[in-house]
Amino acid sequence: MSDAVLPAVTAAPPRRRTRVPVAVAIGLGWIALMLAVALLADVISPYAYTALDLRNRLSAPVGIGGSWAHGLGTDELGRDVLSRLFHSIRMSLLIAFGATIIGAAFGTGMGFLAAHFRGWVEQAVLALVDFSASLPFLILALAVLAFFGNSLTLFVVLLGFHAWERYARIARGLAISAGAQGYAAAVRQLGARPLRVYWRHILPNIASTLIISMTLAFPEIILLESGLSFLGLGVQPPATSLGNMVGYGREYLTRAPWILLAPAFTIILTTLAISIVGDWLRDRLDPTLR
Amino acid sequence: MLRFLASRLARALLTIAMVVTFAFVVLRLSGDPALLIMSVDAPPEAIAAFRAAWGLDEPLWMQYVKYFGAIVQGDLGRSMRDGRDAIVLVTERIPATLALTLPALAIKIGIGIPAGIYAALHRNSLTDRLVMTLAVMGFTVPSFVLGLLLVLVFAVQLGWLPSGGDGTWRHAILPVVTLGIGGAAVLARFTRSAMLEVLGQPYIRTASAKGVPWRAVVRGHALPNAAIPTVTIIGFMVGSLIAGAVVVESVFSWPGVGRLLVVAVSNRDLAVVQCILLLVAATMVASNLIVDLLYGALDPRLRQARAGGAG
Repeated sequence: MSDAVLPAVTAAPPRRRTRVPVAVAIGLGWIALMLAVALLADVISPYAYTALDLRNRLSAPVGIGGSWAHGLGTDELGRDVLSRLFHSIRMSLLIAFGATIIGAAFGTGMGFLAAHFRGWVEQAVLALVDFSASLPFLILALAVLAFFGNSLTLFVVLLGFHAWERYARIARGLAISAGAQGYAAAVRQLGARPLRVYWRHILPNIASTLIISMTLAFPEIILLESGLSFLGLGVQPPATSLGNMVGYGREYLTRAPWILLAPAFTIILTTLAISIVGDWLRDRLDPTLR
Repeated sequence: MLRFLASRLARALLTIAMVVTFAFVVLRLSGDPALLIMSVDAPPEAIAAFRAAWGLDEPLWMQYVKYFGAIVQGDLGRSMRDGRDAIVLVTERIPATLALTLPALAIKIGIGIPAGIYAALHRNSLTDRLVMTLAVMGFTVPSFVLGLLLVLVFAVQLGWLPSGGDGTWRHAILPVVTLGIGGAAVLARFTRSAMLEVLGQPYIRTASAKGVPWRAVVRGHALPNAAIPTVTIIGFMVGSLIAGAVVVESVFSWPGVGRLLVVAVSNRDLAVVQCILLLVAATMVASNLIVDLLYGALDPRLRQARAGGAG
């Protein structure tokens, strides 16, 4: 990571930078829509997401024989798929936001610790980094869930540890090179405590790189969350998330595929949108990460 | 070279030891396994007997030492649910998993690498755009969604293939394709960017400038150099042969290691979970080790640096 700062200079001609590509604009629009849905889920949902409508079980969406009463149809208990979808989007985004922030904060903190103390602290952090990088995260997460059982808080914290080692590596490398630069030394000479140097001076200087790593980690966390919830090991009912809906909808794949298709396409479009926007951000802000 | 090997081996063993410690720590942090396995209203004598049987009544450090010793001797405990050796339970599932992951690996490499190389060599062409669009799709569509969509089309609508279960080779087609497509997309994207990186290097320009035919430049200079980062990611794929199909096996009710893991997690059958964790760690570490050795074979610069460092 230490050599990552320099080679950027020759990349990317300065032209064609001003206009936002169509795909990125659509992606941004989709993300905005999802955020709006997540914020307003209670207001815009036609029904409570747990409300049963037993006379209209497994009714089809509008367009393939359903009525406007349940725009996206209902599930096996007559619960409105659209309302469940809105609340699932809220839950999945909430988890992904929480976990991304936890991961970034923890990883960056560990990276700074390693950069500040060097010596055995650094070796210990690097050993932990190696350990995390050597196992597929899904397996680690499953093991922890087996050992600890499941609760929403634990689940979010657990997902937060996804990709922490990436932030730690980046933060350590950048903090070490920043420490060698004039500004950090200058503030230190003026008598600033280490915490102030890292928080007020080094962090703002490496923030763009960290934010780009977050846009990369965010869709991965959505996929992880939905995967685990799909397996029945993530978000537990009565709460619902996108993966959760797909998991339960799977039982009705033949009779009522809409239960599963609505959340499935939401997952695909959301991760796609964030990836496209993230790639674009990365190209614009930090060509070194490519 | 020998010293390099030894240090790599030491690191590999350290990682395994850390995984064992991790398993022990979370196991102990998670509360009393006796109360997890036995029902709440079990008589105290039964709980005491259970704890004695699993060594839970000894001091913590003693448990750790015993735990480590047992694992070193290959004793990974018995399934707390059906009492058989966890290692037996796990190893008898391995062939089923490999029956999915090995063909899937062949698909990933067979499609992903050529597609990535082609896209890089024809940068910004229509094919490049198509390959990259498909690669991004393959990366963002979660495997369980892809699997279920394939089931919906090929099993439910068309009725060509079974939707799940095992028995014949036809049952394996959809899971293998599901695994293969996603991995091929990742590999194509990765190979393309590795190739583009190499193609932008001065030595490629030099080689073309001195009149080496383009094909020879690609074959002699670009491909070998782009192979180095690509090997890393293939190594990761090889390392996840055992555990890479957790979700897909569940989608298709395939009786492999991944399915066993999911069931063991929901039953909190800790011995089995821990056994799979160690097995996965061992495969990952072993394949990382092989990748490191391959680097030396692929890149003479690294080999020399190491020889210099070791001598």
